[in-house]
Amino acid sequence: MDLVKRKKELVREFSPMLEKSTKTSKIWMVFLIAIILVGIVAFIIQFVKGHIVTGMRDNVVWGIYIINFIFFVCLSYSGAFISGILHFFKTPWKNSVSRIVEVITVLSLIVGPIFILLCIGRLDRLYFLFIYPRIQSPITWDIIAIMTDLIGCFIYLYLTFIPDFAILRDNSEGKPKWRQKIYKWLAINYHDTETQREKLHKITRTMSAMVIALAIIAYSVLAWIFSLTVQPGWNSSIFAPYFIIAGLYSGVSVIIIAMYLIRKFYHLDHYIRKVHFIGAGVILLVISLLYGYFTFSEYFSRWFSHKDADMKLLDTLFNKYFWEFIFANYIGILVPIVILFFKKFRTIKSITFAAAVAILGLYMNRYLIVVPTLETPYLPIQDTRPEYLHYTATWIEWALSFAGIAAFILFFILIMRLVPIIPMSGIIDHEREEKKKKPRII
Amino acid sequence: MKTKLFQYILVFTALGLFINPNCFAQKSVLKNYRVRFDLSTTKQADNSRLLEASFIAANKKDRKDRVPVYDADINFYNVTTDEDFLIGTAKTDKDGTAKFTVPADYKYVTDDEGYINLKAEFEGSQDLKSNEDEIAVKDIFLELNLEEIDSVKTVILNAFSLDSLQTKIPIDETEMVFSVGGMISKMPIKQEYVSDGTFEFEFPENISGDINGNVDVYVSILDNDEYGNVIQKKSINWGINKNITKETNQLWSEVAPLWMYIVLSILLIGVWANYGYTIKNLFSIKKEGKELEKNK
Repeated sequence: MDLVKRKKELVREFSPMLEKSTKTSKIWMVFLIAIILVGIVAFIIQFVKGHIVTGMRDNVVWGIYIINFIFFVCLSYSGAFISGILHFFKTPWKNSVSRIVEVITVLSLIVGPIFILLCIGRLDRLYFLFIYPRIQSPITWDIIAIMTDLIGCFIYLYLTFIPDFAILRDNSEGKPKWRQKIYKWLAINYHDTETQREKLHKITRTMSAMVIALAIIAYSVLAWIFSLTVQPGWNSSIFAPYFIIAGLYSGVSVIIIAMYLIRKFYHLDHYIRKVHFIGAGVILLVISLLYGYFTFSEYFSRWFSHKDADMKLLDTLFNKYFWEFIFANYIGILVPIVILFFKKFRTIKSITFAAAVAILGLYMNRYLIVVPTLETPYLPIQDTRPEYLHYTATWIEWALSFAGIAAFILFFILIMRLVPIIPMSGIIDHEREEKKKKPRII
Repeated sequence: MKTKLFQYILVFTALGLFINPNCFAQKSVLKNYRVRFDLSTTKQADNSRLLEASFIAANKKDRKDRVPVYDADINFYNVTTDEDFLIGTAKTDKDGTAKFTVPADYKYVTDDEGYINLKAEFEGSQDLKSNEDEIAVKDIFLELNLEEIDSVKTVILNAFSLDSLQTKIPIDETEMVFSVGGMISKMPIKQEYVSDGTFEFEFPENISGDINGNVDVYVSILDNDEYGNVIQKKSINWGINKNITKETNQLWSEVAPLWMYIVLSILLIGVWANYGYTIKNLFSIKKEGKELEKNK
């Protein structure tokens, strides 16, 4: 196999993805930028006027910001977990999804923590967290975990990008100067020699194991922010594994949706095939069964123990939030299970639909974990103004939430303009492996 | 037209059947209740006597439906054959109970058999009829002594009544309950029928006291036909937990527990050392690449 020729072919194949902008993609980018701008306006209003412009008050001190934070951070941890597994166990179909997973991991870890900053009433005192940290506080653990994980994920993502940067650097004749410079700088003189490749594989493998461990620890710490309090609905010993399973549920679902959209808009049917969707669908089925089991255990034990505070919470969930509860914990779990369980339903579109239902259900589940608990505190709420008794998100909160989602998608598109979403080095490695195997068979 | 009129009449008649004829008068609601008026008395540790009158309306059909009569004036009397002496007056509280404490030095008039006759009376109001209840109790004295006899913590009780000549007459065959005071309720340590007016037993060794090791020992007679309720109490330093070590929640303390620093340090050093190792290798890859480019 002429490696140089093959690399050129691959660059030629993926170049349109990196360079050409279609009309649709341009409209999309403008639309996303507009949403982000509205979000910036909302942020300025919140920064100037304070949290009074949000739905958060003395009792319900957390709203959709914290839900977005949990959602994105869980997405990131699950991405790291899945990516680590794919690399560590050299999964056969990793080439098709690994980069999607890695990009999701890093982007959600950048977008997620922004939401926790929006929750802070006095942002000007943020540095207190670093000057006066309390090691015994789960919040401090979370800050340490997120920062360590963010850096770890960046390093890991970069490691997986290096061989592709090198290929793009070596085949960037005729490309804009800035692009050539970026590729040269990011490729750190990598020439795919035997020793370089060996070193890179070794550290990538070590890092992949590290991110799996990190994801589990960081996940648990995130769950402990809730479960180490004595609040009804939060104080649970199974919250950490429950969060891990829920995170994987959302992670796998987002990956399926990303696979579907990338396959459709970049015409990558050859690389992202039905078999990949079925594989991801089966994984989602297993996780949805586990997630359903954990959800049932969580609510069943609360109902059976019949503690006053828990009963009040369940009463709120089954009355005020009845339909939300049904959607989150019945439709959001059972519909994906039914679709993915039967072989004949496992088409690309239906698997993607199941993933979308799973994400919406999980987001609603997060809402039901945070808000109803804060609405039913141990001591009765003194202030009887409706906005103090019940939480409703304001347009400011929705604008910033959508801005977060828009930023996530926009950065995803921009990263795809820098490197191909299917790792070229992965394809070459795969072909090299195949070539090595052939003589043995003969 | 006739048919329609007939239909209207039929509909209204049918609707009329569903209207509750009892929905107007509050009186009819009162009819469903039976008023209970009970007097009880407790002789307390300081020899004062608590008089309690319970005034509650109970639903005839639903045992759980009990409505206390609030703010009713209750008069307490010492009843004699000639005259009723007013002892005092109290109002019922939100539980429907009127309480009056008669001082220890109050001179009761007793009947020929030595019984104190007590009466609680509600004179009646616009809605409620008058009510009264009487009880007769004998005065009783409980002497509780807590002594260490040959290093054995011993509880000694002398129970007697006084005749007209102030002679002590021992109490016979009366059930006594010995208990120690707790935060929520009393914990029984002995239950015994006392004969000849005396009883003694060894105080258990495993009883917890307060922060200073003090423990309240009670002896009580409950719901006795002859004496009513009688309580006597004494405090003594017989509790076992004299030295309580106060455990502080380490997570709220100024400094975190040592194990937390150790675990966190091991985790962070492990992870960051790996990052360092990875970055070192990246530099080594870069260096090798640079040399390769130079040689070219």
